[in-house]
Amino acid sequence: MAPSASAPNSPPPCATETADNDLQPFFVLHKASSQKCYKKSGGSGKTRRRIELSPSLLSNGENAEIENADEFHYHQNVNMRIEAFHAVWSEIEETIKDVLRDINMNTFKAIYHWVNESFNTISTSERLNFLEATRSFPIVTNVASKQLFTGLVLTKNMEFVDDQMTFKELGMHLKSKGCHVANLSSLDFSAKNGIGGCLKSLFREFLLVTLDAVDISVLTTWYRKQQNCDSAMVIIISDMEQCHGSILSDFILMLSEWVLKVPVILIMGVTTTPDALRGILPSNVIQHLCPRKFILGSPSERMNAIVEAVLVKKCSSFSIGYEVAVFMRNYFFTQDGTITSFIRALKIACAQHFSLEPLSFLLQRFAVDDNNEGLQCEMHGISAEMILKQAFDLPSYRINKLGEQSMESLVRGFSELKNLQRHWSIVVLCLYEAGKWSRICLLDLICEALDPELFKLRVSSPNGFHNNSQASHIEPSMCKQYHRPQKGGFIRQAVRSVRDLPAVQLSKLLKVWEKITVDVPQIHEKVMELLSLLKFEEGKTSKEDMDEISKSARRYASRNHLNIAKVSRVVNDKAARLLESMVRNHMEPVECAPFHEIVCFKSIDKLKGALIGDPRRRVQVDLLQFQDIIQCGCCRTCNSLSPSMHDSSIMYSLAQEHGDLINLHDWYQSFKSVCLCSSNKGKHGSKYSPSPKKRKVVAGIAKPSEASIQARFCRAVTELKIVGLLQMPSKRRPDFVQRLAFGT
Amino acid sequence: MEINEDDEEELGFSRNYFLAKELGGGSTKKSTRKISDIDVVDEQELRAAVANIEPKHEREIESLLNGYKSSYSKWVFDLRCGFGLLMYGFGSKKGLIEDFVSTALTKYSVVVINGYLQYVNIKQVMTALAEVWWEQLKSKRRTPSKILPKVQQPFSSKSIEDLLAFLDCPHENGSDSFVCVVVHNIDGPGLRDSDSQQYLARMASCSNIRIVASIDHVNAPLLWDKQIVHSQFNWCWYHVPTFAPYKVEGILYPLILAHGGTAPSAKAAALVLHSLTPNARSVFKILIEYKLSHPDEEGMPVDNLYSTSRERFLVSSQVTLNSHLTEFKDHELVKIKRNSDGQDCLYVPLATDSLQKLLQEINQ
Repeated sequence: MAPSASAPNSPPPCATETADNDLQPFFVLHKASSQKCYKKSGGSGKTRRRIELSPSLLSNGENAEIENADEFHYHQNVNMRIEAFHAVWSEIEETIKDVLRDINMNTFKAIYHWVNESFNTISTSERLNFLEATRSFPIVTNVASKQLFTGLVLTKNMEFVDDQMTFKELGMHLKSKGCHVANLSSLDFSAKNGIGGCLKSLFREFLLVTLDAVDISVLTTWYRKQQNCDSAMVIIISDMEQCHGSILSDFILMLSEWVLKVPVILIMGVTTTPDALRGILPSNVIQHLCPRKFILGSPSERMNAIVEAVLVKKCSSFSIGYEVAVFMRNYFFTQDGTITSFIRALKIACAQHFSLEPLSFLLQRFAVDDNNEGLQCEMHGISAEMILKQAFDLPSYRINKLGEQSMESLVRGFSELKNLQRHWSIVVLCLYEAGKWSRICLLDLICEALDPELFKLRVSSPNGFHNNSQASHIEPSMCKQYHRPQKGGFIRQAVRSVRDLPAVQLSKLLKVWEKITVDVPQIHEKVMELLSLLKFEEGKTSKEDMDEISKSARRYASRNHLNIAKVSRVVNDKAARLLESMVRNHMEPVECAPFHEIVCFKSIDKLKGALIGDPRRRVQVDLLQFQDIIQCGCCRTCNSLSPSMHDSSIMYSLAQEHGDLINLHDWYQSFKSVCLCSSNKGKHGSKYSPSPKKRKVVAGIAKPSEASIQARFCRAVTELKIVGLLQMPSKRRPDFVQRLAFGT
Repeated sequence: MEINEDDEEELGFSRNYFLAKELGGGSTKKSTRKISDIDVVDEQELRAAVANIEPKHEREIESLLNGYKSSYSKWVFDLRCGFGLLMYGFGSKKGLIEDFVSTALTKYSVVVINGYLQYVNIKQVMTALAEVWWEQLKSKRRTPSKILPKVQQPFSSKSIEDLLAFLDCPHENGSDSFVCVVVHNIDGPGLRDSDSQQYLARMASCSNIRIVASIDHVNAPLLWDKQIVHSQFNWCWYHVPTFAPYKVEGILYPLILAHGGTAPSAKAAALVLHSLTPNARSVFKILIEYKLSHPDEEGMPVDNLYSTSRERFLVSSQVTLNSHLTEFKDHELVKIKRNSDGQDCLYVPLATDSLQKLLQEINQ
């Protein structure tokens, strides 16, 4: 299709040139111009941009000058928003990386320690002089010298995509310690490229050049000549199970032959169990491996850590609304299940926020500037007046009906928003710490904590906390699916677990709370009180440490146990009540605050649309509800097929009444009768028969010729084939096409 | 509640499937009417009619497309944020995407890949991309000196890995300078294999490349695994049904009512030949010439073709000829018939006038 056909407003390119380009596998459409793109676009864009900049401004009539000024401001605004997005997202990304690195750090250290040990073992077993080492054949002394030290890193996660970054990080960690590292993946061990392809990748990683002729002796020479013989050569294969068995076997056999010359240490990522090795490699290869097992952090541990850093501690001040949080949780649990996809969803949410909210660029300043002084000055051409105008037009401001519309009140609003976020985070963290004992997932908890309705309920009825019905409205589907407790929700469960905590854990929990709440004196004081109460009660039992209390309790179970239980129960109750009051008074969801639109993303539909494409359903709906999408008058009024409808739409609607096979002759006749119907009247049932005699159709336009009907039929069949809803006739069934989709 | 909806959808799907099976299965009487019972007009006339199909609802479709123009700024925003755009929905999106890039992305270089064609050479695409990107860098005149030595060698002689590394190389102009790659039908026949998808995905993940692609096949997402889709393509999906005809995209598909829907058109044959080597094209030319000069014969005997091709230095061995023939057969450009002497004869299943037209195109 020529671009001009569908885009009447665009400058039509030369027809022959377009046709030529259509048949070229690729072509350069245009090269970058130095002009600003907004100057080139047509008039319709201006109006659109003003709408996005400020809906309120549109109602007033403006002249051309104002439009130009608006356009300038719009582009300033867009650039600032993009800049802010990059700043905010890179902060979130860095935080995520740090969090994941921290979780894996202990394993990384253990791996490095083992690499060192293994290297020492290899290098002390046989010392080679330079000449020996660089000869173009391997040294074989005994079987033991062919052992290849192999680290099996168990990822505890079937979704390999989540661990790619981990192995890169591991490589970087080992490199930073002086090892030579090559990061390979299963793509390098494919049958298609063979062992040669795999060696090429290996050389590329070590030598940083692409060689045409690959010979392992090149590696030995490089290793000796570089005078890097003091450090180990580590080869990381991130997804062992995905590798082609025989290529991996050959690779291992070859390395084991050369291990004395090139002290290679192998690290392989294993998503299942170490037994997987036996499934992939033959026993004669396995005997060359000297394996050691390492275990990475579990996916749930990683997920909690990421959610805590990004959504609770708010490394960037960017927030998500309740509905978005619930959607993201459901997407994670039901659709994809990978942390990578969760992070991607978060990134899309973040980008959508900056794209939709004109004032979102303030978020960058909001995060950095504690006193919000940045707001008071003019920013890159965006006047304070304009900011005020838009800020005070936000629905959250209008609902809360705050006082005067001045910069001071905006700054005040921002400070309150910040405070509110800080308090919310602290309470959620306290809840999470309490809920850890009953294995509450942080994502579940924040979904509940972000619910503004639930918060209003809690505030309106102080006893409502104990009401089971209030929290259950968000959970039923999830509870059913994942065997979560339906009654009371996660917050109640966390509070209940505080009541049931043994004394030792309670003491630990309170100490953690003490650290978390240090910035909020009113909560911190109460936590301190509880701690001192606990110590005082401990003092009464003449014990200084709760651990000792437990020990003594076991020793003198009959007498002391009752005392200690009584002591801790009082503190437990108080701690639970404190937690309840924290939830009630300090855990106000961000959506309840004025100006929250600036920092909080709530457009679930936009996120859903951008994140999850559903071509299988949507394309069928496009065809079956053609008239709704293009909003045409003629096809819309009737319930039955009209000849004015899109041909493929008619054909696909007709196909619905066939079985999995469609007789082309019948289909054509049905289509023809729809095209030809011009004066049929009567009832228009929603069910159609393949037989043209029975068909009831509505009035149409001038009768088309046979050739044109056949042409339209052919094109519609081709179009349905292109979208994959049909399979063309086979030799066995030349008169039938096959339907490939059933139901939307 | 989403899960319940999913369950219902799943149920609806299986119910529909079994209903359809029942309708088409042995229990009900299957229609035995043949496609030949349709009084099909002459192929020439049919092709002419296809070319002149009157568009329906032009006004509504135009306003639908104009409606998408309001999203252009949003799409640019997403690209600048580092996402790829994936357009889907019924109708050709070629015009829409090209309009978008030529109005809203003038600041950036744009390279278009036509994935609906039979064959796309990814290496050539990457070379072109690297050249375009290099020019763009040079024109900014703030090129980091580090890159200079690396590009002394011409891009065409570089490996794909080097090209990818070059396209991923950080530069001084920040993240707001990139080359946009438009891929029409990223799920098309020329790009459907896993290697092409892997390379496209790696290309899309380069920091200096942004990708705007369209899919048409309802099962297109099955081409990608989680790694490709989440970490490399990084799609933002957009549902943009256009209801525009698949004119170019459908060019390779035979008309179902012409020749029982199996023979390729002269246009499609020309397209396939275009992607073959000059020698293969010349071998095919021999077959056409033979058919035109011996219209009554079943076809050209294979031995005859071999000797003629050898005489003209087009093939050096039977193996080379066979590889050409396999290519022809795969694209249904050539069929085999046995003649009265028991020899295998090759013929091109096209009408005489189509053959003449094709011959002209090859000679050009």
